[in-house]
Amino acid sequence: MMLTIVMLGLLAAGGLAWYFESVKAQSARWISLFSVLGLATFFAVSIISSGSDYSQLNVLVRVPWISAFNIEYALAIDYLSIILMSLTFFLALICILVSWQEIQTKAGFYYFNLLAAIAGIIGVFCAVDLFLFFFFWEVMLLPMTAIIAIWGHEKRHFAAIKFFIFTQVSSLLMLVAIIAMAYLHYDQTGLISFFYQDWLLLDIPLDMARYLMFGFFIAFAVKLPSVPVHSWLPDAHTQAPTAGSVLLAGVLLKTGAYGLIRFVIFLFPEASQEFAPIAMTLGVVSILYGAKMAFAQQDSKRLVAYSSISHMGFVMLALFAFNTLAYQGAVITLVAHGISSAALFALAGMIYNRIHSRNLKDMGGFWHSAPRMGGFALAFAGAAFGLPGLANFVGEFLSLAGAFQIAPVFVIFAAFGLIGSAIYGMMLFQTSFQGPPTTVVNDLSSRELLIVGSLFILLVFFGLYPNAVLQYVQGVQL
Amino acid sequence: MITNMMIQSILPQLIIAFGLVLSMLLIAWQRSQRMIQFLTLIIFIIALVANVPIFTIDAIQVTSLLKVDSYSAFTFMLIGLSGVVVTLLSGKYLRTQTEVHDEYYLLLQLVILGASILVVSDHFASLFLGFELLSIALVGLVGYIREDKYSVETGFKYLILSATASSFMLLGIAFIYSQTGDLSFVYHTGLVSGDLPQASVVLLVGSLLFFIGIAFKLSLVPFHFWTPDVYQGSSTPVTMILATISKVAMFTVLMKYWFSWLSYSEAGLFDHDIFMKLLSIIAMLSMVFGNSLALMQTNIKRLLGYSSIAHMGYILIILMVTSSQSINFAWQSALFYLAAYVLASLSIFTVLIVYSSQNSLAINKSSSTDDDITISDWNGLFWRNKTLACLVILSVLSLAGIPLTMGFIGKFYLLTVATQGELWWLIGALIIGSGIGLFYYLRIIFALFNTETSESSVSENNWKIELPVTNHLFIVVLAVVGLFFGIFPDMVTRLIGSL
Repeated sequence: MMLTIVMLGLLAAGGLAWYFESVKAQSARWISLFSVLGLATFFAVSIISSGSDYSQLNVLVRVPWISAFNIEYALAIDYLSIILMSLTFFLALICILVSWQEIQTKAGFYYFNLLAAIAGIIGVFCAVDLFLFFFFWEVMLLPMTAIIAIWGHEKRHFAAIKFFIFTQVSSLLMLVAIIAMAYLHYDQTGLISFFYQDWLLLDIPLDMARYLMFGFFIAFAVKLPSVPVHSWLPDAHTQAPTAGSVLLAGVLLKTGAYGLIRFVIFLFPEASQEFAPIAMTLGVVSILYGAKMAFAQQDSKRLVAYSSISHMGFVMLALFAFNTLAYQGAVITLVAHGISSAALFALAGMIYNRIHSRNLKDMGGFWHSAPRMGGFALAFAGAAFGLPGLANFVGEFLSLAGAFQIAPVFVIFAAFGLIGSAIYGMMLFQTSFQGPPTTVVNDLSSRELLIVGSLFILLVFFGLYPNAVLQYVQGVQL
Repeated sequence: MITNMMIQSILPQLIIAFGLVLSMLLIAWQRSQRMIQFLTLIIFIIALVANVPIFTIDAIQVTSLLKVDSYSAFTFMLIGLSGVVVTLLSGKYLRTQTEVHDEYYLLLQLVILGASILVVSDHFASLFLGFELLSIALVGLVGYIREDKYSVETGFKYLILSATASSFMLLGIAFIYSQTGDLSFVYHTGLVSGDLPQASVVLLVGSLLFFIGIAFKLSLVPFHFWTPDVYQGSSTPVTMILATISKVAMFTVLMKYWFSWLSYSEAGLFDHDIFMKLLSIIAMLSMVFGNSLALMQTNIKRLLGYSSIAHMGYILIILMVTSSQSINFAWQSALFYLAAYVLASLSIFTVLIVYSSQNSLAINKSSSTDDDITISDWNGLFWRNKTLACLVILSVLSLAGIPLTMGFIGKFYLLTVATQGELWWLIGALIIGSGIGLFYYLRIIFALFNTETSESSVSENNWKIELPVTNHLFIVVLAVVGLFFGIFPDMVTRLIGSL
């Protein structure tokens, strides 16, 4: 019930924001901010006060929805979903703060889309009826596409269409796999079911499991994204408004990883084991290719986008290592990358607001006029290349250490990605903040300071005390 | 022997036929556009009401010509509702012309009569009767607005192709008759004597020719060439009929024929496999070509024409059902898909009509004539009128099969049928087709939000579109119905499941 209230609340708040913006300008952002704050608090309080143990999936709601197919409105959460939902809420606040000044046209509709996308993402993290999961999976897509297509930069329509078509086509493959699973359940038990926990009990013949797993895998690999289905991501990230990029990189990519964990690895353990070498290869290729491409970019947001591909490669590698340590590393990486890439995109957005360019050639010497911004930029670049003491380091270290026990060769190659990330991270920082000053920019305003400051504090916190996350994912058996 | 039950079950058809006579009397008495429109509306509504009890009765054979069952009742409901919408909107459309248009409504009633005979027909004779009633009345409607620059071309094109389709179909029926000696779908004579016809090439060719006749009307590839021209050339309410009533009736009769055929095919009526393969090739071609050809269209009606080709390709998947046990589920899937398709088409054509009638009021709009609405005309529609734009978005998403809409559930049904039948090639084509389709569907949606070009070209006072209250209400109702059934499809699935 609690999650339903949260999602409906987000939608309602979006509607209110849309309406009140036409009554009184600038009211939409306040409404969004306070409603997200309120709902996040409500979420936190009800999770803590419920006092239950979420190490297993706790089914919260289960009511019939479409009886012809025995489809249910079923929500369940465990620690993994709680961690990712908390990340979503936090980044939602960041998104609203980031959009504060940037979005001036059609602001009401913008906040409606933002909140609807967040509601959809929350739904993805808690749906355990696979039809419902697919429903949310698509529902979060629509407002996201709208955000890119309406408030994006110059090539926004192209980017939005590309984003939509990639996701939609791959998710249709997943839909076919979902239907096939439901009928497999029918063949074995005489009852159609889309319920996740029913599926876990199924005995899936391996030759069928291969195809079914592949259907799911493609959809999640596109979202993650992994080479060779990554090409939507640089365009979408570059063209989206800042908050769109933050949301995309921070949370949307995590839905892909979440799907891999919940619906690929746990549903099809044997088939995934068998598929692991290919998946790990894709992971390593993503790491190296992403780093190489990031280095070659002139566009600051594109650079960060490619670095996301590289970081998500670590997640793929770690997940398919089937090792508890690597799994923990993957979860930490998800959180850390969510925060650090959000921070980098937020910074890129702040620079764009000042000089109206994303081109690195137009930047340089900002340190002289904006030292505080420079300091944070250095810290976030450090996080991106895995500086010890920041959260990314813990994630990448655990992933590599865990995966090394299983596939040392892959890890040796993957480790080169760390060097690559140091190169592009420093390049990003040097070209924009060092060198002779080209333009005078304003330093961070207090709102911006709040954004980067809170992101930085979290990065340091998880870097120094990763147990805050790790204690919840320790007991996972793979 | 005709019983009361039989009369009751064909009451909707009788009401429309009787209404036709009344309408002609009304014309003789007084020529008034308002009155005839009102009368037409009343007739359709009464027929729809008379249709309601048929949902619950068992299948009933009315002479050897007609067979009424709950499936045909459901499709009649779709046809009748489309008829109501078309009637309501035609008034809006015809008001912009000068004459009194009684004949238009007569033709419209004839179309509905033909369609309603088609959906209950159980015999080649009644099928042909319905088919011709529908086609000939449509020819009249397609070329109805004489002053229109396309009317002669469109009318002729449709006339010639309809005639060709009918002759193919007749030849096919003749071939089938030569082998079976029976014109009814279920081979009474063969059943009684236990003497089923032998499998033969003539029978296969006959079935193919018959199918081609219907494929013309469903505009399946490679019989689709007339579609975009006729869609674009006819007046929008008529395009609406082509897109909804004609397609629904044709597909229903095809299913009726096909599924009764299927029960005997196990007895080896003809080489089932070749026919199935041909069907799936046609389906795949329609999905891929329909969508690809729509990609570069700018005229919305043309685009919808091509997209309807693709949709008919999708729904052809239903016919691939091979076992007689899954026929019930195939019917349900087809009915749901048709309902979703009809609702989406009605919605988007309604917007087209309302928009163009609104546009012709604002005279200083020069970029397009009334009927030629291109995608760029809709630039920024969302900021000009939210209700119109929301309905467009909803129907386009429904056509594209995105969740929150009925179209998604329809596609879900189709995929379920295909997965059960293990038709992986068709699934592949469907996924590719939908992928291509998204491209042009999204183009429409993005245009609605586009603010760049339109704001400068339209003067400030024309920028916002103000709708009359009735139009507004009508559009809101369509949108709410679409959204409601999209989120809670259970009401429709239960109704269909109970048929």
